[in-house]
Amino acid sequence: MILYNGQIYGTEMQQELLERLPEDLNGFLKTDTKLNIEDVITACDTLAKRVKDGEFDDTVKPFLETFGVSKKQFDDLLYMFSRDGLQKKIDIELPDREETISGFRRKRYPLGILLHIAAGNLDVLPAYSVTEGLLAGNINILKLPMGDSGLSVKLLSEMISISPSLAPFIYVFDVPSTETESIKKLADISDGIAVWGGDAAISAARHFANVNTKIIAWGHKLSFAYCEPDCTDEDLRELARSICITNQTLCSSCQGIFLDTDSDEEADSFGERFFTIFTEVNASSKPADYGMRAKNAINIYNEKLEQHETKSRIFSKDGISVIVKRDSGLELSYMYRSVWIKKLPMDKIHLLHKNKGHLQTASVLTSNIEKRKQISDILANAGVVRITSSGNMSRTVPGEAHDGTYALREYSRIVETEFY
Amino acid sequence: MSYTGKLFRTRHIYDLSKTDDLFASSVRETCSFCYNNCSDYRRILDEAGFSPEKINTIDDLADLPFIPTLYFKHHTLTSVPDRKLIIKATSSGTSGTMSRIGFDLKSLMTGSHMVINVGKYHKLWSIKPTNYIIFGYQPTKTNKTAFSKTAYGFTFFAPARSRTFALEMTDSGYKLNWDRVLKAMEKCSKSRCPMRTIGFPAYTYFLLKDMKAKGIRYKMPKGSLITMGGGWKQFYTEQPDKKEFYRLVKEVLDIDEDHIIEFFGAVEHPILYTDCRCHHFHVPAYGRVIIRDPDTLKPVKNGTIGLVNLISPMVRSTPVVSVMTDDLGVLHDEGCPCGAKSPWLEIIGRVGVADIVTCAAGGEEYLKEGS
Repeated sequence: MILYNGQIYGTEMQQELLERLPEDLNGFLKTDTKLNIEDVITACDTLAKRVKDGEFDDTVKPFLETFGVSKKQFDDLLYMFSRDGLQKKIDIELPDREETISGFRRKRYPLGILLHIAAGNLDVLPAYSVTEGLLAGNINILKLPMGDSGLSVKLLSEMISISPSLAPFIYVFDVPSTETESIKKLADISDGIAVWGGDAAISAARHFANVNTKIIAWGHKLSFAYCEPDCTDEDLRELARSICITNQTLCSSCQGIFLDTDSDEEADSFGERFFTIFTEVNASSKPADYGMRAKNAINIYNEKLEQHETKSRIFSKDGISVIVKRDSGLELSYMYRSVWIKKLPMDKIHLLHKNKGHLQTASVLTSNIEKRKQISDILANAGVVRITSSGNMSRTVPGEAHDGTYALREYSRIVETEFY
Repeated sequence: MSYTGKLFRTRHIYDLSKTDDLFASSVRETCSFCYNNCSDYRRILDEAGFSPEKINTIDDLADLPFIPTLYFKHHTLTSVPDRKLIIKATSSGTSGTMSRIGFDLKSLMTGSHMVINVGKYHKLWSIKPTNYIIFGYQPTKTNKTAFSKTAYGFTFFAPARSRTFALEMTDSGYKLNWDRVLKAMEKCSKSRCPMRTIGFPAYTYFLLKDMKAKGIRYKMPKGSLITMGGGWKQFYTEQPDKKEFYRLVKEVLDIDEDHIIEFFGAVEHPILYTDCRCHHFHVPAYGRVIIRDPDTLKPVKNGTIGLVNLISPMVRSTPVVSVMTDDLGVLHDEGCPCGAKSPWLEIIGRVGVADIVTCAAGGEEYLKEGS
């Protein structure tokens, strides 16, 4: 499905509409129409209320089920689209005051035309990306991810029907990633490209974009916990709980634990301690997906066969596992409740810097407040952009920065005009 | 003659009770050979506290440590000197890495008896010259995938009058030549000789769908066969209902359902599973299947879904005697109208949830770079 200036078209119209787009956009830019941000907020707020009232339960319920999202978490998510939530986001990310400095008027403008290359990991993400583009006042072109369920067009066209003034600011195409010529054409007319996805997607965008096009990369990130051996069982329990809730599938999910030690024995006994807590928490959580448990059963069995080389210590039971490894590198876990534990003494935390651009959240677990401050500071210097307590690694709040920056600011530019 | 030699010459290919004891002895034989000649395999069994001597009855097979196919992707295991490996095959590498399995002459000879017997049972042997259409790679010296070898080998069940490959080797690598396949199909329909296709089911399906859309209809000569192997791979979600597929074959090529045959096998378990007229993959005498619970790895009752552990004593040059695939499946023993007594294996799909791509999982490509 294609959404073009408020109209829905079938995919057979794609080529024709792609051809028409540059001219139509030029025509529209000529009219100098500004997007009224209030209209965006009204559309989101009204739609969020309707979702909350159950109008979209057919779509929402399976989504919550698949990702194990609780009612409370979903309400928090909806709050981000409410008038309150969005206003807070704008206030924090776009302090939109005009300034006059040394004879210059300084004002924020939208970037202009923004191309969103969305990832397919979360159905609602493409529409969310466009919403952020709208909040900054941009014209938005969305390239749907492969296997899009149709939700993006549905949500965005609902928003247009609430606030018709949004129509000329939204264009959604279903161009396959393999059609690089078409994507390049879209990129050529855009001022910026917001690309979601893995390193391959970002590197592809860098490749086809012209040098005069800004790339805003929302890439995949890895997150972890940093523990002092003196951390409490309660802290570890909270960590285990967040691992079970997110199944380690989010950028902010804990993949593993770095322990402040250089002793293998200490790492082993910490592994055993965490495994005991993890097993208890898992027993009281909704079981992980069967297919993923099956996949991990093979992975863990294989790890055991390789143990004579890796010297890892492996604890596994009931489909969950803790692998105490001998290296200190940050890596993706097997996910779905498989956690690695590695030694990383405090004086080596700075070495995480080699993972620059991939680091996101770290939770710090220690009973010593002074030490926590110290560790947090070293982690921040190494490139980590969110530092939280053990249970809050994946909590979302309106107006929080995204991967170390503010999306709305990335989608804007500052124009200075001299008075003369 | 060795136990394995005897087992692969059995005529009771779908009555397992008749070969259970022989099967256990054969596995002990192959397992001992690999244990004595492959240090990595010996270590694996030793670490599990298992010795080949412990295999006395068919029930003991559940205790034989299995090796996941994943392990073969990162480790090359052989129990004969490299010079004795006549064929070094690799899996098709759906997930990016490939298993490397070596076959010596003895293992291949063992397998040839199986091919003869299975071919006889399923009436695959024919003396009529046949036009082959292969939805796979044209074999070259550099292509080591088991599929290209198997597909080529398959063209010897009946004398080949012609062979047309869908994936042709060109100067710039393999290229899909749909037009050539279509032309060959047309030629086959006009020939007096039967046509046989062999290939990945997905390619076969896509071609037939394309032909249907273009309004192309052929009446293939009597005795023509559609044969498929290699599974649906990345096209898993596009897999049609079997009945729909059979209707499509009838409509486009005028070939009846009982002339559509599917094979199942893996480079790590080169046993020729052939579907019966009810399209069930009965376990042949040359192999046994244990379905295991993912959480405990213990065998489950027939009819229950679990991880698919395949056992066969055929290959002695690589310790693939008991392998764990990355498939989920069910073993059915509710009886089959085709008359074969052995249970049949239904593959449900691959482990993992392929359709949920997560944002942390993108790190996997990052992981490859080593962090």
